[in-house]
Amino acid sequence: MNKKIVSALYKKEITDILRDKKTILMMIVVPLILYPLLFLGSFVLFSSIVSASTSKSYTIALNSVNDTEGMKQYFKDNEKEFKYTFIFKDPEEGMKDSDMLDAGSIDAYVVESVSDNHPYFEIAYRASENDSQTAAGMVEKMLGRYRDELRSEAFADQGLDEKMIMNPIGFCLKDYSSNEENVGFLMGYILPFLLIVSILMGALYPAIDTTAGEKERGTLETLLTLPVNNMELITAKFFAVSTIAVAAAILNLLSMGLMTAFVADSMNMVSSEMKIDLASFLPAIAITFVCIIVFALFASAVSLCSCIMAKSFKEAQNLTTPIMLIFLIGGMAGMIPSLELTEKTALIPVVNIALLIASIFKFHFDLSIIAIVLFSNVAYSALAVVIMTRMFSSEDILFADSAASFRIIEKRSDIKKGQIPGMGDLVLLFAILLLGLLFLGSIFASKFGLWGIIMEQLMFLVITVFYAWYIKVDFRKLFHIRGFGIKALIGSIFSWAGIYVILMLLSSLLVVFFPETADNSAIVELWGDNPLWLIILSSALAPAICEEVMFRGFMLGTLENRYSAAKAVIITGILFGAYHMSLNGLILIGILGIVQSYIANRQQCIFLTMITHFINNLLAVLSARYEEAFTKALPFLSGEDLPASTVAVMALSGVAMLSLGVGLINNNKNRRQSSRESG
Amino acid sequence: MKIETDKLCKQFTRHVNDVNDRNGRKNSHKEDFFAVDHVSMHADSGEILGVLGPNGAGKTTLLRMLGTLMHPSEGSVYIRDDEGNTVTDPVVLKKNIGYLSGNTKLYNRFSIREMLSMLAEIYGMDKDATDKRIEEIIDILSMKDFADNRIGALSTGQTQRANIARCLIHSPKVYIFDEPTLGLDLLSSEAIVNFMKSEREHGRTVLYSTHYMEEAQYLCDRINMLYKGRIIADGTPEELMKQTGTSNLRETFRALINRTEGGNE
Repeated sequence: MNKKIVSALYKKEITDILRDKKTILMMIVVPLILYPLLFLGSFVLFSSIVSASTSKSYTIALNSVNDTEGMKQYFKDNEKEFKYTFIFKDPEEGMKDSDMLDAGSIDAYVVESVSDNHPYFEIAYRASENDSQTAAGMVEKMLGRYRDELRSEAFADQGLDEKMIMNPIGFCLKDYSSNEENVGFLMGYILPFLLIVSILMGALYPAIDTTAGEKERGTLETLLTLPVNNMELITAKFFAVSTIAVAAAILNLLSMGLMTAFVADSMNMVSSEMKIDLASFLPAIAITFVCIIVFALFASAVSLCSCIMAKSFKEAQNLTTPIMLIFLIGGMAGMIPSLELTEKTALIPVVNIALLIASIFKFHFDLSIIAIVLFSNVAYSALAVVIMTRMFSSEDILFADSAASFRIIEKRSDIKKGQIPGMGDLVLLFAILLLGLLFLGSIFASKFGLWGIIMEQLMFLVITVFYAWYIKVDFRKLFHIRGFGIKALIGSIFSWAGIYVILMLLSSLLVVFFPETADNSAIVELWGDNPLWLIILSSALAPAICEEVMFRGFMLGTLENRYSAAKAVIITGILFGAYHMSLNGLILIGILGIVQSYIANRQQCIFLTMITHFINNLLAVLSARYEEAFTKALPFLSGEDLPASTVAVMALSGVAMLSLGVGLINNNKNRRQSSRESG
Repeated sequence: MKIETDKLCKQFTRHVNDVNDRNGRKNSHKEDFFAVDHVSMHADSGEILGVLGPNGAGKTTLLRMLGTLMHPSEGSVYIRDDEGNTVTDPVVLKKNIGYLSGNTKLYNRFSIREMLSMLAEIYGMDKDATDKRIEEIIDILSMKDFADNRIGALSTGQTQRANIARCLIHSPKVYIFDEPTLGLDLLSSEAIVNFMKSEREHGRTVLYSTHYMEEAQYLCDRINMLYKGRIIADGTPEELMKQTGTSNLRETFRALINRTEGGNE
């Protein structure tokens, strides 16, 4: 990579972007003018409401059982403290109080009734009218004061100590958090969202302009005539977009910060006891600044990645809509109280930045987690840049008409029947499912236990099938819906059993290297005292159906159409492993997923893999539930301290079963095909 | 400096919709085809080589590969200098090639002068040489009046001159022009034709494709006729007319295609 060329290209991109009026509008005018206007507008509105509602008079009707005039006098005597005036209006001839309220000539009316010698006041008002609502509140307070006075008199008459009877103990809340901590908490609540949105907005527009815009204006081919390689081109574009995104974010921040300070100052919020030591926020602000830069890299990389596939501005805007949604949802992570920044959440893009900014403004500094967040964002960006260089050299993207890979954006009536989803559809669906897993999954499980797991699985199933229905897929082809013979079934079970035994050995090896992989106490704890049938339903049957539909159906079906069978099978398997979100899962379940995908691919039948998936999970449930009995009956399955001979026998039988199974599957397939051709 | 190709191929994939099968399912299958099919050709210095052919013959794909904008599926493109050394590195090739087509639009938000100095920086030229070269080009193409206007505000003819300026900035040895006169008026296309002629006088290599047969007949030293991705004829306009017994290039074109179609069937 030639630095001089990159810098020349970078200069060109920045000039090009900055000379675009629309970008300037989005970047400078919006934050510098719109935010102040919004703040000032709401400030003016608020103060006008406040001033309008002081010293206002309300018209009410009042009917007491025996002393209407006395009540009115009481109201008049006490109204000064409330800064309101009451005007009393008597009902006109032939008009009831309710009619006057309906007609709007009074704001509320008060009627007293007596039952069991207990006076009872009814305050009639209309909640839909501002004045009526305020008037009713006023009357309520007034009557409350009247009641308290009567009560004090009654206590005095009886010669009792009112305070000791009414308030035998006293208590109060005392907040020990400092003003800084309170402000930090509030900042952590809103700042991540605002920052993420403004960075994304800052990145999206230039990203579209430098990719799809360049294609639309026809300068891309010109650019390709220059002695520049893809890496230089993408790097320059990437840094130019990131620069603009950082600039936009900082402009937004400054504008918001200045306005907040101005409003706070003019509202006299900064009194001596509310004094805030701004210096204590310096570390948080410094880290936030680093976050802005790192996240701008990420947002630019992601937006460039999707825009690069578009051939026009309009298409780019369509392609970036899902990204915008994901960023918006992820940006709200800081507002979800149960979501904490852990080593796991620190790896989730967007969410990790939101949580990090929220946590540092609450003065929680965990250096290792901060490092994970920053590093993972840089790593994701680098990955995206590498993917882009690959994509950019793809002539499909450069010269072909379009890469219309998101079918869901089209109107359903425009979609032809019998589709196979595009790569964009696959990515979008699994992004939605991943967000569901991260946000709803834990909530479901903690609220509804095992039923929550079933609900979550069903939700995934419904989303997947709905998506497929919407884009009118060829259900039979995509989801591999086909009957199967007994030979195929036996072959599948043998293949699964073979790999299961091999994985048992592998897992006992893994335990040696990664001790934490053996820990499945969390799921066992969740099972608790639930009946066995419910555990089997939630942990074996539901995943067997839902995960197979997601992975061996939608994912494998989409990939098969795009890549060679081998590639499709391996990618599906690895992603299936990654979906289980543990190191153990990535390796062991990944391998299992590859075998499952192989079966589904060769036989084009999802029911076979549902069966093997069910057997697999059932075995896991039973072995965890009846651990002792299991270890006794089948000691070799425990995987601990096995003699070398047992290991050898297991490995051999595993390989034998696997090859027998694979043989059966392929043999069966061939027979089926030939019989079809001849018939 | 010569530009040559050796068994150059470009394969594309097209989707073909099948007739419904017995189950009534609609399917499509992919089919590979050669847009450029084992083309070996050469263009020499001081020569204007015309690449002619009907729409879909593969002209643009061939020229894009020659300009290294596209990667060949098979075969190679290289330039050979006067000592006979060959280079295939795309970056070196691009430094020696000026490429112009209907699709190479300019950056509307830059002025001609700004664009040229930006390009010069990417070509790795030093500051003094750049300034000198820019003035030279502005002079040659008589663009003094509008050299500092934004390109977006220029007329079509002025834009076309700016486009030529773009190809000239790095003083290339080889020019590749894909339908450079398409849709231009008489004066503008004359300017381009004159430019190609003057570059030939300077010993440059010019490769050019067009649909205007009269222009090709008058301008080209040699013609390569491309049809269905293959070169079906190679020679001077006179030779080709003699071969087919025709009196102008328009008829030659038709006769050559008919001959090939007939030969195939």
